[in-house]
Amino acid sequence: MEVGRLPISASQRGKLISAGYTTLSSLSSLSPSDLALGAQTAWDMLHEDEMFPRITTSCLDLDNVLGGGINCKEVTEIGGVPGIGKTQLGIQLAVNVQIPVDYGGLGAKAIYIDTEGSFMVERVLQIAEACIEDMTECNGLLRKDFQAGQLKMHPNNILENIFYFRVCSYTEQIALTNYLDKFISEHKDVKVVIVDSVTFHFRQDFDDMALRTRLLSGIALKLMKLAKEHGLAVVLLNQVTTKYIEGSFQLTLALGDSWSHSCTNRVILYWNGNERYAYIDKSPSLRSASAPYSVTSKGIRNSASNCKRIRMM
Amino acid sequence: MAPLKYLEQEYPILDSNFRNFCATHGIFSEEDLLLHDLHVLVAFAEQQSTSERLKQGITQVLSIIDGQHQPWLNGMELLEDAQLNKHVLSTGCEGIDLLLQGGLRMGQLTELVGASSSGKTQVCLLATSNVAKKHMDGVVYLDTGNSFSPQRVIDFIRQNPDPAIDQAKHRILQKVMNRILCHSVFDIFTMFDVLHQLEVNLRSQKGDCQVRLLIVDSISSLVTPILGGGGSQGHALMTSAGFLLKKLAHEHNLVVLVTNHTVGGEGGISKPALGESWKSIPHVRLRLSHDQGSSIYNVSVLKHPSMASGKAARFTIYD
Repeated sequence: MEVGRLPISASQRGKLISAGYTTLSSLSSLSPSDLALGAQTAWDMLHEDEMFPRITTSCLDLDNVLGGGINCKEVTEIGGVPGIGKTQLGIQLAVNVQIPVDYGGLGAKAIYIDTEGSFMVERVLQIAEACIEDMTECNGLLRKDFQAGQLKMHPNNILENIFYFRVCSYTEQIALTNYLDKFISEHKDVKVVIVDSVTFHFRQDFDDMALRTRLLSGIALKLMKLAKEHGLAVVLLNQVTTKYIEGSFQLTLALGDSWSHSCTNRVILYWNGNERYAYIDKSPSLRSASAPYSVTSKGIRNSASNCKRIRMM
Repeated sequence: MAPLKYLEQEYPILDSNFRNFCATHGIFSEEDLLLHDLHVLVAFAEQQSTSERLKQGITQVLSIIDGQHQPWLNGMELLEDAQLNKHVLSTGCEGIDLLLQGGLRMGQLTELVGASSSGKTQVCLLATSNVAKKHMDGVVYLDTGNSFSPQRVIDFIRQNPDPAIDQAKHRILQKVMNRILCHSVFDIFTMFDVLHQLEVNLRSQKGDCQVRLLIVDSISSLVTPILGGGGSQGHALMTSAGFLLKKLAHEHNLVVLVTNHTVGGEGGISKPALGESWKSIPHVRLRLSHDQGSSIYNVSVLKHPSMASGKAARFTIYD
């Protein structure tokens, strides 16, 4: 291995090379590092996937096109025009990840990173109460033998399990992304990290576009690593911008082309008449489809229209 | 190249006497020996009392240096190597195979360029399933975006039902999937570690099945955070990665497939990322695009060593 490929500073590298050491073998006897730890066969990965349940969005149609919900170990980007319900979806996911395992959820905690200041605690309380109501109703309907009608959760418990961070500049955002690894190692039951929105501090007054691209790709890789190593879901909310494509101005997600490759899955939220729709734009294993959903006082729910068929593209 | 004193352990003839002799001529490392006039050095060595040992020492250092470069090959040897070892691997997709006159060639670095959601990962997964199932060879998949989907690979395997496979389905599926090794890499240095380890494994021929396909999806996400800015280390690492991949392809007869994304260019036309320096590194560059809302994909040749660029084809990837 060449010395140029080692993660050391330029001055150290210069010193090594000027002393005549240009390959690793000239420094010491080669000892093959045990890299079998990082690799997995596809068969093992397949069976591991089955162990990680998905986070429901509380809207059946949306869950169906997502293959059951938001997947752990992946970075999902959700973007849309202002007012379409991105923050609402983020809050719904932060609450839904806490659904106990007995009710088909993950029984885990959430991290909510707020860059815009759109996190309203009263709304979270409302959604948490509605979620508990739904669970109690479900309990009653299925008449579970154990703990009949007794649900130990209280809206305050749900609020306690959401770790909230407020960032006010892009440097804070990058610092927080670096810190998350340590935080999550100490709080191992966090299973979702929601960033609302990842765009905000990178849009205004960024003079050096090349620097922005580098910083964003660095953040994307760190979040990917976080998702993979800790087995959690990362949800990034993004804004839209207009772009000149093929002779006309079209609406696309912000942060440019390089950023569009930084997520595993992408969901675009849009208006169709008076209805809200979600469209799977990018996924390695889901087919492109759109599903209607609505934002109610209880949170994200199924669309109330008569036509409930999922439109396959 | 190392200073001479560290070679003594392996080559005892390069003892302190030899090194002192070299030091009197200002030679402290292998490099210095190369730059020196050897006839003059040998003439001086003859005048010493231990001339035989000194001359043996000089010959030894020269043979060490000789061993560090690739052997000279003539055209016939290259042709023989190409015909015997560098075959073509089908990707599992007829459209692409037809365009590439059979498929992906061993010993070559093939790059797939495309905008987001244009089918790059799908083609990689398809090629993975095809190599593991039909060719029964090993696949190493380096994934930077958690996009490797074992379920999708199984879908592709099941798409062409093989009566032989259906009978002992579960066991054979497990064997096929066990040939695919997936590494998650999130920075370029980890990628170098993995490739280096792979090189060691290939040389010692460890493992029960021969690795034939190496995929890096995507190399642009590893390089973009370090490219540009103040120093040139980013460029150096990128070209170094390219050379390492090509070396692995040539020496071990692998197909190496990498994916790259696009960025905006002049006049709103998108161009491949990673810039001008990267352009000349892959042997074959293919551009993918996807018609929105359908399962039809377009592929066109941007660069190929034996085909005109601009040739295009369409193919379908079924759900």
